[in-house]
Amino acid sequence: MTVWVEADLCNGCKRCLRGCPYGALEFSGEKASVLDRCTSCGACIELCRQGALKSDILPRTVPDFSDWKGIWVFAERRDGQLSHGTLELLGKARQLAEVLDQEVCALLVGHGVSHLAQTLIRYGARTVYLAEHEELAHYRTLPYTDVLEGMIEKYRPGVFLMSASHLGRDLAPRVSRRVGAGLTADCTELEVDPDEKILLQTRPAFGGNVMATIVSRYSRPQMATVRPGVMEAVERPENAGRVVTVPVWVSERSCAAKLLETVREKKDAVKLCEAKVIVAGGRGLGDAGGFRLLEELAEIVDGAVAGTRVAVEEGWIPADRQVGQTGQSVRPELYIACGISGAIQHRAGMLNSRYVLAINKDPRAPIFQVADWGIRGDLREVIPELVRQLKRGL
Amino acid sequence: MIRSNAQNLIRESMARFVDNEVVPKAHELDATGEFPRELFEELGRMGVFAIRYPKAKGGAGGNCVLFCTVCEELARGLMSLAATSAMQALMGTNFLFRYGSEELKEKFFHPAMRGEKVACFCLTEPEAGSDLGNASTQAVPTAGGFIINGMKTWVTNGPVADFYTVLCQTNPEKKFKGLNFFFVPADTPGLSRGKPFDLLGTRNTKICEIAFKDCFVPLDHLLGAEGQGMTNLLSILAEIRTMTAALAVGLQRAALNDSIRYARERAQFGKTIGEYQLIQAKIANMAVDLEASRLLTYKAARMVDDKLPCLAEASMAKYFATEAACRAADLSTRIFGAYAYSMEYSPQRYYRDTRFLLYGGGTHEILQTNIAKWAGL
Amino acid sequence: MDIVVLIKQVPDSTEVKLDPKTGHLLREGIGSIMNPDDRHALEAAVRLKEAQGGKVVALSMGPAQAVDIVSEAIGMGADEGILLSDSAFAGADTWATSSTLGKAIEKIAKYDLVLCGRQAIDGDTAQIGPQVAEYLGLPQVTYACDIEAARDDGTIMVKKRGEGGYEMVQCPLPAVLTVIAEMNRTRYPAIGRLIDACAERAPVQIWNAADIGAKTGEVGLAGSLTHVIRTFAPKGGRRTEMLEGDTGTVVRTLLEKLQEKHLVLPGAQAGAVGQEGKKS
Repeated sequence: MTVWVEADLCNGCKRCLRGCPYGALEFSGEKASVLDRCTSCGACIELCRQGALKSDILPRTVPDFSDWKGIWVFAERRDGQLSHGTLELLGKARQLAEVLDQEVCALLVGHGVSHLAQTLIRYGARTVYLAEHEELAHYRTLPYTDVLEGMIEKYRPGVFLMSASHLGRDLAPRVSRRVGAGLTADCTELEVDPDEKILLQTRPAFGGNVMATIVSRYSRPQMATVRPGVMEAVERPENAGRVVTVPVWVSERSCAAKLLETVREKKDAVKLCEAKVIVAGGRGLGDAGGFRLLEELAEIVDGAVAGTRVAVEEGWIPADRQVGQTGQSVRPELYIACGISGAIQHRAGMLNSRYVLAINKDPRAPIFQVADWGIRGDLREVIPELVRQLKRGL
Repeated sequence: MIRSNAQNLIRESMARFVDNEVVPKAHELDATGEFPRELFEELGRMGVFAIRYPKAKGGAGGNCVLFCTVCEELARGLMSLAATSAMQALMGTNFLFRYGSEELKEKFFHPAMRGEKVACFCLTEPEAGSDLGNASTQAVPTAGGFIINGMKTWVTNGPVADFYTVLCQTNPEKKFKGLNFFFVPADTPGLSRGKPFDLLGTRNTKICEIAFKDCFVPLDHLLGAEGQGMTNLLSILAEIRTMTAALAVGLQRAALNDSIRYARERAQFGKTIGEYQLIQAKIANMAVDLEASRLLTYKAARMVDDKLPCLAEASMAKYFATEAACRAADLSTRIFGAYAYSMEYSPQRYYRDTRFLLYGGGTHEILQTNIAKWAGL
Repeated sequence: MDIVVLIKQVPDSTEVKLDPKTGHLLREGIGSIMNPDDRHALEAAVRLKEAQGGKVVALSMGPAQAVDIVSEAIGMGADEGILLSDSAFAGADTWATSSTLGKAIEKIAKYDLVLCGRQAIDGDTAQIGPQVAEYLGLPQVTYACDIEAARDDGTIMVKKRGEGGYEMVQCPLPAVLTVIAEMNRTRYPAIGRLIDACAERAPVQIWNAADIGAKTGEVGLAGSLTHVIRTFAPKGGRRTEMLEGDTGTVVRTLLEKLQEKHLVLPGAQAGAVGQEGKKS
């Protein structure tokens, strides 16, 4: 399969260039040409008004999925309760359901979990499918896959969402392959295409440097895992729903993998290079006690504590925690610079952070030039307040 | 048939090693001046020291181009590690490999390839540096072997070596024709090591004097046919100089990369210093020097691999690349401004390490004299 | 124990930028590497082989230049390498990719374990491992951070990293495991093995669609169930916004800003809401 350009027809309008999701078109002079990285997706062909783009791609027919209806959410449990991500999914599912005029359903799988159904309803589910069996008490991939497969075949949902948690990212691909459905991982935006009425699934790629919108046109359900914390959970006390108990059959073969032990761990200090959040301090902390504050904040946000060269030299923090030209380079999602003036030598180590928050008394501190958000103030007031509000937010 | 290119593959692999394992430790290692034992052993496990020996005889099956590629990458991280590795892969083990008995090879060569034993090469004497014909360390035949007496200096890896390849005079009247290489294990009675020198640069390369007092070595410790020492040395001289040129290329890259990064970050008068033409000129000069050095170096390396006579090409490469490395280090100290004067930043290390390249593999005074001669003067 | 390791070639950086005008990926000057998690999977496989014997086959799918990571895998200790390369494979989503890899593994036939990295740094989907496992009808353990040698009863003990702890799983063989970086410290390739891997007679095979019996419509873009319809640069750029007000207000505004950026402070999502619905 290839795509090619009829040079005589190309008028150099470059519409195709903007429409190619793979950057596989190039203009050398006035005419388009197709690069090696073309995947023959055909997006450009529809865009070309001159008919200059040709291909031998066979047209693919979209099957009739009109009887696949409903927005499904998998109810994930953690420590016997529903994960917050599940409630967020319900919030999003309700929005989608309103556009599509369909029902939101939650799948509650486990053993002795029926009491959670009401919470699912309160957060937006109209129907809770309850699948209970003692073999389902603890999550295991294959028994859960069997159950979900049965439910999907029986009820034919149009959309099926799971949290992009460890569990969701273990289970969703397995189920998708089992039922022959396309799956998009770790979405941060979900919308319905107004014309085609299909799910537009947007997700970050390349570590968040690129966003891609993906559709699942040729299979149902349209499956996606959704990044926890992105969607909003909305409590709907007025919502009424029903609970449907689903018969469960678990095969012995599916239970061959045995879960022997589950261990909860107190986490070690997060490594700087792996930390999603880094809370860093500099001269403005004044003393080692200032770092206690940072540690408290870091613990709540699951982050790591770092410091400038000054902080290391003052002995407030060990040398392996130094960020900067003579320390480590870091690239967390969020870098919180506390009492750091932001000398170039320090900035060199943290410039690749996705977002930077700077807290400093001095409004002229250079760190503000590289920050996304700046707070001019005393970190000894700001950080405790941040800790307080974060704790309350939970 | 789709296959990878060995030079690219090895370069990328070594670059990853250097970036992850060497660069982060280089500053501290240089400050402590310790022999980089851990990195050395890791390189042994990776088979780096075996690179230029044939596969069938316990080597990695590479050639001079690949050897230079490795040396260049290592030098980009830490010159002293690169110098120590080059000694291990070339001068320190070459004659043992070519002329040593199977027993000696089993006991010393193969462990050296694995990084378990450290090799070194004793050439220079207090009174015989470039003037090797004047070497006075003597090996006198005796029953079943030789007795060695004398003194060697500027012995790279000397303080940490497990064995030595030593250039000795067996018959002073024959001058060059009386020079021979001997294999001397470090635990030979009568062998003593001096205190490691306090060095300006390449501070992790341990260098000292080695004294031989009535050291007995058996007959099979004479490496190569009697009287062939100088011929054998000349047979690897072009490779030594090419390798040294590769070290200089690596140092230029380090100086250039750090300078570019700094010029992009450091701002004065509202713009980065890289936006000023005088800084651009320095970067451009470094880049051109680097490109020229590379061409000379790898041309010589290919000639070594093609077994073509190339002492002139190798000498020119070594001379040019080293002088270019000196210029690059100097320019980097100017681009870094006063920060280059701080021991905390890298340019000072490059600046000091370039000095090593000036003397190792032949002084530039000797090289220039020879090059002029080869040029037809 | 015979092990197939799935490896992927990825850009050497996630610092890929989009041309703001055309929306195209700017790839200039970015090299390619073996996906980091896959490297840990390969290391785990080589260690199992060194402990218990057997053979390690590195299997990749990609363009011809992806042969470099297959060669590198041999450098790290894989005995053989296979690159699935065919223009018919291009544009595959994880469905089509898992079909392609699955068919190749079926052709390899002799294996006790399939290992792969948890996820690739370019796509971050983490879907290939479970989808290959389902294709082959094998049990899976994801997020594996330690493996014990296989037991006589044909099972393997795997330590699986969970959120806030771990699980010990006893899994029957053959099985598919996805490996995280915590599993091991990877070795650097042996120079001699790298040189061998580049030789004409290197143990590297290139398989095309016909070699694995893939029909049109099963693999590549045509065999995919999902399609990218648009790529674009995320909003942003670093323009400093000073947050004003008293401390309470400033912090409240800040938390709203973080939420807008989908920037969840990890601890803040760990809270679970149960029957009582707590406060949310």
